[in-house]
Amino acid sequence: MRLWFGLALLTGPLAAQSVRVRLEGRVPAAAMAIVDSLVQQATQEDLPTEPLVQKALEGGAKHVSAGRIVAAVQLRLVQMRDARTLLVRAGHGPFTAAEVMAVSGTLKRGVPGPVVERLVVALPNESRGSALHAEADLVAHGFDPDSSAGLLVEATRRSLRGGRLLDVSAAVLHELQRGHTRPEALALVRLQLPNVPPAPKPPKASVAGARRPGASSGATPQP
Amino acid sequence: MKPIDPRVHQALDREIAREGLPPELALQVARLEAAAAVLGTAVSQWAGGSVEARVMAAIRRPAPSRMWRLARWLAAPHSVTLRIRPAWSLALAAAVALVTLLPAGDETPSVGEQEGIAQFVARFPGANSVHVAGSFNDWRSGTIPLRDADHDGVWRAAVVLPAGAYEYMFVVDGERWVPDHLADRTVEDDFGRENSVVIVRPAAR
Repeated sequence: MRLWFGLALLTGPLAAQSVRVRLEGRVPAAAMAIVDSLVQQATQEDLPTEPLVQKALEGGAKHVSAGRIVAAVQLRLVQMRDARTLLVRAGHGPFTAAEVMAVSGTLKRGVPGPVVERLVVALPNESRGSALHAEADLVAHGFDPDSSAGLLVEATRRSLRGGRLLDVSAAVLHELQRGHTRPEALALVRLQLPNVPPAPKPPKASVAGARRPGASSGATPQP
Repeated sequence: MKPIDPRVHQALDREIAREGLPPELALQVARLEAAAAVLGTAVSQWAGGSVEARVMAAIRRPAPSRMWRLARWLAAPHSVTLRIRPAWSLALAAAVALVTLLPAGDETPSVGEQEGIAQFVARFPGANSVHVAGSFNDWRSGTIPLRDADHDGVWRAAVVLPAGAYEYMFVVDGERWVPDHLADRTVEDDFGRENSVVIVRPAAR
């Protein structure tokens, strides 16, 4: 117990220091102190800090003013609080930083809160992130949020998991491009389940010479 | 073989006069002298002198250059003895066939189970440089360049990333931030513009 307490005392300041090091010289000095305090708030509230750091770094790289950077980081913090509230309301037990970020990103892309909540409740952990992306893709293309979520839940029931749910939304968008109406596209893919075509793997020639990002990044990808 | 009369030797060595010999011995001496004259002429014509002279001539002759010796070795016929062990020969042939027929290794990096490859393609005719910056590289604008190998204005890059979703933009000529117009997803960047979003799926799916 004493060990854990000691570690907690040590890691808090160390993490804050590493954030400051990453921001140093890349974010306007006027924004540094406020961004730092927002990151600390997120830590205290057990929310992921990486999206806040990324937003500040993005603003700095794009030469945005200090005031706009602070506003964007604050907005990001609010979005993550909303995501956490939704996860709690959905009765979802202890959730990961990745789940908070996935829910936050889905809300930001215009999916209504109740629909996100429905998906969180209905889907198993390993499929939640991909399902939320697939739902946001369909909503972004004008599909009815409830009908889209219904298709994704049905796909999960027909044993499609994880990234395969992205194949479902891709198949729906493909039917739309072929000239079907949105309800028709959803209905056609529902009939195909679970045999939606998988996304093609990138051809070897096109990925030859692929490289890893040079800069050290603490970025945590969304699931 | 009939032994030579010692008087013939003496006459050839000019120890006694040829006229004092019996006629049959005088004839032998005359034949031997004639044979010696013929042999002497042939040797002088072939080597231009004595054995000593020939040896000295060979020593004085400059040594042939390496290239000349190599050329002479290449041009000269050689006998080659080939002893074949069928088992070893078959193994060697199989190895050669394997090396020849297998596809040559490309530069594709090893991709972990939870990693995938993000491909970025953009059309910027006339641009001098195009980079991609995003949440995968701390939004550093100069670390991941796109290439336009054939100068057709289409820039490409492939990046190995942990599976997940990433926001990004292109940076053209080091200063102009441009969204990816080919991206399947976009999201507001909260600075008044839109970021593109790429979802990287694990390669081992």
